[in-house]
Amino acid sequence: MRERITFIQKLGDSIDPAEVKIDRNVIKAPQVQAVREDRLTIALDELPSELQSLLSGLHELHIRWVSPVAYETVSPLLARLPPGFHLFFTPGNEIKATSTILCQTLTKIFGPQISCTTPSESFTTLPTDRFSHSTAYQFFHPLSTLSPFIHYTQSHLCSLSNKPCTTRLSSLLTSSTLDISYDTISHSLRLTSTWPYQRQQISASSHPNHRTEVGILSSDKPKTLESHELGISGLLTVLDQDTKPSVTMFTFPSRHRDAESFFSATFLNPTGLHPTLQLSLPSPSKPPGNTCNLHAYLTLPNTIFPDKYQLSDPLFLQSKNISSLRYISTPIDLEAPAYLTKKWGSTLLLQLSSSSSPSTAEIPLHLRYLPPSYTGYSTVQTPYPAIFWACTAEEGTKFPTNPFEKVNLGYDGLFGPRTVFWHVEPRPVSGKELVNKVRVPVLDLAKADYVNLGTALVVLSGFLWVVFKLVSVVFGKKKVEKEKKTQ
Amino acid sequence: MTKPNPPSAPSLLTSFFDRPLPLYLSAALLRLIFLIYGLWQDANSPVKYTDIDYLVFTDAARFVSQGQSPYARETYRYTPVLAWLLLPTSWCQTNQHHHHYLNLILFSSGKILFALADLIAGYLLELILTTTNSKSHHPLPPSTARKFASIWLLNPMVATISTRGSSEGLLGVLTTFLLWSVLSNRLTLSAILLGFSVHFKIYPFIYAPAIIWWMGPTTQLSKLITLPRLKFAFISLSTFLLLNYAMFYFYGIDFIQHTYLHHVTRVDHRHNFSPYNTQLYLSSAFPELSEYKIESLAFLPQLLLSCLLIPLATAKKDLAGSMLAQTFAFVTFNKVCTSQYFLWYMVLLPLYLPNSSFLKNKTLGLTALGLWVLGQAMWLQQGYELEFLGKSTFLPGLWVASLVFFGVNCWILGEIIGDIGTRKMKHL
Repeated sequence: MRERITFIQKLGDSIDPAEVKIDRNVIKAPQVQAVREDRLTIALDELPSELQSLLSGLHELHIRWVSPVAYETVSPLLARLPPGFHLFFTPGNEIKATSTILCQTLTKIFGPQISCTTPSESFTTLPTDRFSHSTAYQFFHPLSTLSPFIHYTQSHLCSLSNKPCTTRLSSLLTSSTLDISYDTISHSLRLTSTWPYQRQQISASSHPNHRTEVGILSSDKPKTLESHELGISGLLTVLDQDTKPSVTMFTFPSRHRDAESFFSATFLNPTGLHPTLQLSLPSPSKPPGNTCNLHAYLTLPNTIFPDKYQLSDPLFLQSKNISSLRYISTPIDLEAPAYLTKKWGSTLLLQLSSSSSPSTAEIPLHLRYLPPSYTGYSTVQTPYPAIFWACTAEEGTKFPTNPFEKVNLGYDGLFGPRTVFWHVEPRPVSGKELVNKVRVPVLDLAKADYVNLGTALVVLSGFLWVVFKLVSVVFGKKKVEKEKKTQ
Repeated sequence: MTKPNPPSAPSLLTSFFDRPLPLYLSAALLRLIFLIYGLWQDANSPVKYTDIDYLVFTDAARFVSQGQSPYARETYRYTPVLAWLLLPTSWCQTNQHHHHYLNLILFSSGKILFALADLIAGYLLELILTTTNSKSHHPLPPSTARKFASIWLLNPMVATISTRGSSEGLLGVLTTFLLWSVLSNRLTLSAILLGFSVHFKIYPFIYAPAIIWWMGPTTQLSKLITLPRLKFAFISLSTFLLLNYAMFYFYGIDFIQHTYLHHVTRVDHRHNFSPYNTQLYLSSAFPELSEYKIESLAFLPQLLLSCLLIPLATAKKDLAGSMLAQTFAFVTFNKVCTSQYFLWYMVLLPLYLPNSSFLKNKTLGLTALGLWVLGQAMWLQQGYELEFLGKSTFLPGLWVASLVFFGVNCWILGEIIGDIGTRKMKHL
């Protein structure tokens, strides 16, 4: 097991090395305004047995959870995804895709909200033909809390008496992201969590046989920094090994950058059964470079869906300020109710037109029928999309993996390897959550008592009336003819 | 009664119907205007005139032209014949060899076909109304026949549906062609047409019992099985099976699944005019809780009326009237009902109306029309509140509206049956 704890401050903020106190396996320093990132690397054989057997059958698995609470971050931890539970997965072989084990384990770890049957039935497939770094399957659920995960890990990873272990895991409740990655090449599970940019207590300790590295870093812009690179500098300490922090400074190319602007998303009223999600960018500032296009990436639960046929008419798209439909997952059933839909939902990548400032775009969506309720209404939670400028870096630019790089985000596989993503920060319209709620009209069960009986009676009466008329024309011929004569 | 409105002096209206040209030219012009307006709206407005179904057909035709299955297009739930008929729409090209207007004409070729089908159906209506060797009708003079055919030909609803690119218009020509061929004693042609129609849209199978019952010389059940009846049954069934075999040969199980099985397995949960709609939504959401599975019995009143009782009671007296009543019953008692289905019976209306009590008794006629429109308006208002305002109007609004509309339809159906059932049988 290896651990890496990193505090990252903004450009210009730094900590005096003299203030950092190291005592063998304990490090302490004054509070800083920073983002905290914890990374734990666990070898396969250190995991609980049920996870070991699950993972050994997989080729690749990436879980990315993003908190619905809006958070501020700093360079280079800039990659963003819509809030919720994202899963990217490639099975060891195709037979594994029809197994129920993965879904059962996910429900056990992340709670009953994560409901799926098998990858081949519930997951959507990603296009793997274009760029080899995409996984085979994708899954998403707008999961709002990690508490089931915390309970599971506390009971499986911490011993009963280990208070620091349970406390540490509890702190995940306030985290802004959690990434869990496994692939057969590294043969280890990597857990990375981050906490938003805020006052952070610097205090960490290592455990025997665990290598723990602590970094107290800041964004930096050295003079030699190239346009496609990010810089970082600060203090690195390996606990139980270093007696004082070592000063470090490094630069690296990064595919994720800060567009230094923000957006908000809201549904236009009335939402009806065909809600329109409006995206507003008050000041869309195009990043440097010529080949940049604004994109919105949406992960929509199966209660709400886009219609690819509607989104393929140029005139219609233009009226909504959308340039083009770049990608839509398949299949998306255009008719089935949510309760008979097996796929988790759909993924949508749109290129937005960015000519005007402020810029707004409208994304037409459709609601599925939901199960009846006792109020006549249900609520659908739609996560904010991720909005970014995708720019193509100069010919020959290479993006080797950097220590803070995130790959397998769902949208990165839909762009070329030289694409740089400049992220626009999501901001809630009101409150703190990056989730839009739609009130969906459903059948009101409180009024449904007489539906079966009423329908049956009315249909039967109608039927009997028609039969009566039929009988009277067949057997009442003479009478009618008599009537006619008297007229 | 030959003329419903004998004019006191030759008016513009009567001279309009005196010759065929003005009527058919206006009907064609009406559709041409709608078609061109539709092209304009499609090109200039984000709200499209063209029906979504037309894009389904044309996409399917494109797949066929590329040697693929029409079922490669999601929600294509029709016979491959339709995609074949629309193959010219796939010849649209974006290269410079093709003129812009040629592309527009090619894209619209399906709509042009549907509009032509409307006109032919209208002409067949005129033929049926004026035909002298019919067992069921007193032939009408051509000008009066055209007056009634204009209910179909000049109906803006019919013209809109076909120029928006809905294929329901094709059913109109198939039904009238079938009826004309039966009434003019073309047994083989009739049988082939019936087989094809059922292959095309399933529901025309309800006409089979009516035609077979009508064909016989007597009403005696002991002489039910006759050679012409056997021949008719054999040819129509063979046509149907042969077409299905051919489509299955070309496109395999996809054809069976999407054209036929889909209608068996689908859950018609989305709001529509059917009286069963609310109940179906409820039982599809709680399949394990539904005590009364009335939806599984729903086919009983529907098929009893449209396939057995109505043809038995009325087909011998008035085949066209019987077919109207059967279609009306089929649509009214169906598990799913949208306004496009109304076209199925509307095409037969001009054949029934001339001797109907709705025309003899103006108050009755206007009441029926008023209630039919009002029932729909009630439902549409509730549907609008649900679909666009997001109000939960499933209960009681939509449910009650659909039951009221059902009630109105049953009453109208009863009146139609009363009319045609009391007609005197015209003996040969």
